[in-house]
Order: sequence, then C-alpha cells, then structure tokens
Amino acid sequence: MSWKIWSLKKSPWVFHVNAGACNNCDIEIVNLLTPKFDVERLGIKLVGSPRHADALLVTGVGTRQAVPRLKEVYRQTAKPCVVFLVGACSCGTGIFHEGYHVEGPVDKIIREEDPNAIIAYVPGCPPKPEAMISGIVKALSAL
Amino acid sequence: MNQEELNNKLSEIKDKLIAVEQPADSRIYLTCEAENSYAVNKFLFEDVPLRFVIATGIDSDDCFEILYHYAYDETGCMVTLKAFIRDRENPAIESIAPFMPAAEWIEREIHDILGIEFKNHPDMRRLILADDWPEGIYPLRKDAKKPVKRPDGEVCSRPIVQSQSPARRTVELSKPVVAVGPFHPLQEEMEFFQLTVDGEIVTDIDMRISYNHRGIEKISESLQFDQVPFLVSRICGICSASHPLAYVQAVEDIAGVQPPERALYVRTIINELERIHSHVLWVGLAGHFIGYDTVFMWAWKYREPVLDLLEEITGNRNNYGNVKVGGCREDIPDELTPKILKELDKIEKKMEMLTKAVLDDPILHARLKGVGILTREAAVDYAVTGPTARGSDVGIDVRRDDPYAAYGALDWNVITQTEGDVFAKAVVRLLETFESIKIVRQALKNLPDGPVTTEVKEIPPGEAVGHAEAPRGETFHYVRSDGGNRPVRHKVRAPSYVNVPSFRASCIGQHIADVTITLAAVDPCYSCTERLAVVDQHKNVIHDYDTLLRLSREKTARIKKEMGAPELKMEDL
Repeated sequence: MSWKIWSLKKSPWVFHVNAGACNNCDIEIVNLLTPKFDVERLGIKLVGSPRHADALLVTGVGTRQAVPRLKEVYRQTAKPCVVFLVGACSCGTGIFHEGYHVEGPVDKIIREEDPNAIIAYVPGCPPKPEAMISGIVKALSAL
Repeated sequence: MNQEELNNKLSEIKDKLIAVEQPADSRIYLTCEAENSYAVNKFLFEDVPLRFVIATGIDSDDCFEILYHYAYDETGCMVTLKAFIRDRENPAIESIAPFMPAAEWIEREIHDILGIEFKNHPDMRRLILADDWPEGIYPLRKDAKKPVKRPDGEVCSRPIVQSQSPARRTVELSKPVVAVGPFHPLQEEMEFFQLTVDGEIVTDIDMRISYNHRGIEKISESLQFDQVPFLVSRICGICSASHPLAYVQAVEDIAGVQPPERALYVRTIINELERIHSHVLWVGLAGHFIGYDTVFMWAWKYREPVLDLLEEITGNRNNYGNVKVGGCREDIPDELTPKILKELDKIEKKMEMLTKAVLDDPILHARLKGVGILTREAAVDYAVTGPTARGSDVGIDVRRDDPYAAYGALDWNVITQTEGDVFAKAVVRLLETFESIKIVRQALKNLPDGPVTTEVKEIPPGEAVGHAEAPRGETFHYVRSDGGNRPVRHKVRAPSYVNVPSFRASCIGQHIADVTITLAAVDPCYSCTERLAVVDQHKNVIHDYDTLLRLSREKTARIKKEMGAPELKMEDL
C-alpha cells in the first residue's frame, strides 16, 4: 500500500457535487452530518472546496450544463481521489435515462477525464444514510 | 367577487375570444388567436385581476399553442387562456412580460424548448438549455432529436450571462460582481447568481439556471400515465408527495375518477408529514446561514422522527411512490395510528421548544427583521406562492382555496404575516408545522374505512390542470391526453420557479452579509457555492464563500454584542 492510499483512508474529507439531482440524495448527505448519523465521529467531514477533498460525493444524472463543471471539480481534487456515485441517477442515470439534457452516467464522464479514477457506487433512490456510510467503509477497505 | 361575478367579468372580453368552455365550475378554458392574446392577458391580469400561474407551450399538429394558466384564489377557479399560433415556419407572439414580470422566465423557457419568438420581451436570453446546446434545435417539438455535441470552440449566439438590453439589470464589467454558484459546500442544486455590488450594498441580481434541467416534461411523454408519478416524485426530493398528487389530480379530472374517501385522507396525512419535515429542514438551514449551528443540528434531529414515520407508512424516507391515479398504492394500517399519534406528540413538544427559542430570541429579531423585504405589491407582481407569499400578506393556500384530498373537511388555519421580511417567513413556516400536526391528528381520527384504490380503465382524450400546496408553495401540473396511454403534453411548474425570480425584488439594496439568508428565505431548492467570489470595488479584495458566511455570522455576533446579550448556550434554548 502506498503512503498516499494509506493516508487517504484515514479521516476522508468529502466534497459534495450535485450534477443534476432531485435534492433527495443531497438532503440525505447533509443528514449524515446531523446528530442521528453524525459521520464526523468517523472522521468523515464535508469540506467547502474540492482542493481539500479526499473524496467526491457525486449525485445526479450529469446534465449537459453540469458536465463541464463536474469535470472541473474533479480536476481540482488532489489525487488519488475516490469518487462516490450516490444514488440511482449518478450510478446509471436512473429514470432520467431518456432525457435530452442528460449526458451521464457520471462514471463515464469521470473516466473521460481520468481513465484510472477510483469509482465507488452507492445505489438507491435515495440510498439511506446507513447505506452511504456502509458504502464509504466498504470502498475504503477495498483500496 | 364570487364565481358568477367572475364569469360575468370574463364575458366582457368575449369579442376577442373564439370560444369559452367551462367543464366544471372552477375550471374555465378560453380560446383566442395569437394576435389577441396580449389584450386578453392584460385584461385577465390587470382588470379581473387573476394570479398568473404559468404558461405552457404545445406543439400541436398544425399549429403551436400557448396556454396561459391563471388562478382566481377567492373561489379556487383555474382560468386557462389558449392562444393559437398558426404560422409554423416563423412562430411568434406578443410578449406579456412587459406588464407581468412573473411571465419573464416562462417565455424565455418556451423560446428555448419550442423556438417561439416573443415580441418585445425585455430579456430574451437562454434560460434552461445548456450553454453548448446547438441553436435551432427545440427539444419539445414533436420531431426533435437528441442533439449531438457541438463542435469545440463554437459559442452560443445568444449571450448567456450578459443581458441583451442595456437598460435592464445588465452586469456591467466595470462594476464589481459577486458570482454565487454553481456549487455550494453544503448541499443541493446548482444555480448561478450574479450580484452587482457597490461596497456592501447589492445593487442588482441576475441568475442562470439550467444546471439541473433534466427534461422531465419530455421524458413524461414517453411514460405511461401510471408510470409518470414515479418520475414526477423525483422532480424534487423534498416535494416528492405533492408533485405526484398534483399530477394525479389532473389525470383523475380527465378520467372523471373520484378516488375513495380513505385514499384522500391517506394522501392528506403523507402530504402534511412532508410539510413538517420540509419546514423543519428550512429552519435548520436558516439557522446555519446566520451562524446558529445549534438550531441547524437541533432542527434536523427533530426532523428524523418524521422521516421514520414516513418510512414506516410508505416504505421509504423520501420518494414515497404512494399516490396513483384512482387512489393510493399502500394503506396506512390501523395499528400504526397510535404510534403516529404518539410520535406527533413528541414532535409537537420539540417544535414548541424550537419555535420559542427562535421567535423569542432578541438577536434573531434584530438579525432577521427588516431584512430581505418582499412587499405585498412585489409578491403579487412576481406571483409568488406558498410561505413566501403568505409572509408578505398574500393569504393564498391551495389547500383552502381549491380544496383537494381531505383538506376541505378538516379544521385548520392559513398562517399569514404582514411584514414580508425573512423573520415573517420564518414565523409562517414555524407556525404552519403546528397546523400540519393538527391536520394529521384530525385526519387520523376521522380516517374512514374502506379501500384506498379504485379501478381506472382508461384515460379518455382531454386536458386538465391539477395543483397542490407543496411545502414551498403551489405546484401546478397540466396534462393533455389524446386517448392513448401516455400524456401528449405534461407541463410542470414547481413553486420555486416563481419564487426564485422574486430575489430581484428582495435582494436589491441589501447588505452582502444578508444575501445568503435572503436567498434562503424563499426556501428555493437552494444553492450557492464555494467558488463564490466577491470582488470589492473599493478594497479590491476577493472574498470566497467562507468569507460571505463569515460576514453573515459576524453581523449576528456584532448585533449580539451591541444588544449586550450573553453568549448563547445550549442550555438556554
């Protein structure tokens, strides 16, 4: 294990990116911070800049207008960076698959930017906060 | 003015119309040619006067139709004006935005998606399509294909951020500009705001949306009537009960179906639980923006039991998927009633404490009163709905004005405040949660026996509007059927669509430190950003989002100090 991966797994700081979602996953992500789930006790912290982030939490389908911004955010993160695709939309565009303004799925967009990106999927509509915590733990243990 | 007087008033404009239909007392359809639409709209908006809801553009076989939807809240009547544009090659119609700011966005949107030109529109910039969307492809025309990527380097021929008309809120490059968006460190959607500032004072505001545009209206045309509720509940995760309800009511109107009594009560209960958790969510976020993180954490903690109840009733914390044409999918089991009542008691107690903490706090009074005032006149002009309107003394509420589900049979109050500032909106939301608790209790008590679903054979050709009171305001759905099993046109208007443009009335003249809370006050499906950069003309420094949040919090701290208030501790709340 390289020291970069080793340090990545300790206290992952996450940045939340909405790439065209319905708010549901986003609200549940904020829910993670509040007293019932309180992920800060596990060292997971939501940060205000992608430059500070070890991981991105991406929600939403990746709309045509959002895709260039999403790529820009990914470029700004320090590598290695784990990309968590939270919710059915970001995992595979879900019910919005046929939409004319949809460019996703998000994993394709991230791979266009970086073919070796580390991508983890948390499906659900929306995934329960417990599922998100479990997804983060599983992905980091697999690294 | 009662319904009869309204009908008489409408007959004054008869000579400009082709037809008047009234399929039900509270549904009126007027038809006219495109040339007369300006005059008729002006009459409806200024002389009757009606509240503008939204416009719908439709690509019919031989012409384009623009439908202007109005509401008359005193009787709950929905008036729809249909204007036909016969020229398919160069479709054009007179813009109504010059006398009605509420119509500005929707005319831009119809131009984007159908390519109809609005003559004399003050500001015809692109609204909902992406910057790299090719010109000349209109996605909601029936023959539209999904466009391929535009060649690199080509730019949109219509300016995106700069306004066309120099007289109207253009962002002059010589003036300092605060860019807010499109990402925000906390949550939710992307939106892009541009604030022009003079020192600390905001002199102008402009917005760019589209980041979240998924093309739901078009996708809806490819789904069956029974599948659409699952799609529309994903328009917004926090209004995921009211959107399907409004849609289903429209379809039931077309099909002439009356859902069973019990289903109406189940719908009411789910919608009110949704309102409670949404309002509490807002209180928490508002607390966060002015530096009261304790309120944020507490409010969200007390929101959890509501989500647990919803999960127990519907199987999911959000996106309930419980409403269907002709009733509900799942019943509320009777043995769950005592548990819900017990939880409601607990929630009510906690909310009383939270409300007292928020409303009795002199610092919050000083911080929120007189901030971001939306006057009654502006609220009417921008046709805002929900708590945003009720905080500005516009007492409209679909639940009372055009009763649906079981609201007509229950006893509850519409909360209004007169001030129009952020504090008034907070009061409206906090007090509404108690009304919601009251409604759920009554609905559970009076829950009739029987099935929750009735069989619906087919949806005949026809059209109908349905609306419901979401936590943020009126959500409106228009559905047209041609007798097949899919809608041929489905128009959605979410409440934020009319509430968000009112920022232009409430933000201008405010301090930068007050902008975050003013923007948050309408509870938009909210966003701003970490990449927000403030350029100050005089000091020539660049602030980022954190600075803005800090400014907001420092102002709270300053007020606190001036008032000689002690440091707020958790025990005090």
